Amino acid sequence: MLFFRSEEHIDRWCESWHLPRGAVIPLEQGWQLARTWYGEDRRDPSWRRRTLEETEAVFASLGFTSEFWNLR
Amino acid sequence: MPAKQSMNIVEQDQEVRRQIYDVTMREGTPPLAARVADALLIPAGEVVDSFRRLADAHMLVLQAGNGEILMANPFSAVPTPFRVNANGLSCYGNCIWDALGIPAMLQCDAEIDTSCGDCGTSARIAVRGGRLEGEGLMHFAIPARLWWKDIVFN
Repeated sequence: MLFFRSEEHIDRWCESWHLPRGAVIPLEQGWQLARTWYGEDRRDPSWRRRTLEETEAVFASLGFTSEFWNLR
Repeated sequence: MPAKQSMNIVEQDQEVRRQIYDVTMREGTPPLAARVADALLIPAGEVVDSFRRLADAHMLVLQAGNGEILMANPFSAVPTPFRVNANGLSCYGNCIWDALGIPAMLQCDAEIDTSCGDCGTSARIAVRGGRLEGEGLMHFAIPARLWWKDIVFN
């Protein structure tokens, strides 16, 4: 996941890499995602990766509901 | 406390993961297998085996060829375009999401130095008191269900 200055820069990058445009979120929303995703202490022996359902719930809580975020 | 020799594989993998993150969160860079082996008093080969199992479970990403850690997310073992200063550490995130993940994991303020993926213009993003300072966008190029098919590109 890369950082871009603006939508125009994302479009130009996608064109130069011959890639379709993916999902774009503001930095603030990315910060909320990071806090949710990495907020747990991975030193804890009980830590485990989220299940698919738990990951879907994280995405939904942040408004990531388009097909791009579909995990199935 | 050193791990016991009698650990089963599940316990060993948990101890290895705990040791990886204990070092990484204190120093900013994931440790080599030999260091984890020294800390846990187990052979380096067993640590490498744990690294492989943790990578297979998508808890780590390994370097090609030598079996050492490339990513203990959100931290990178190698320099990237996402430099993070946090808690007195100078370290690297694997991507912009992971760069933000470092202050999230350490629960501290941070400054992130990165650049626009298109034009290369430098940018500084800060986290202070739990609030983000900075403007810009994050682009996810690969649909979520495919992230682990090429996690390094992603």
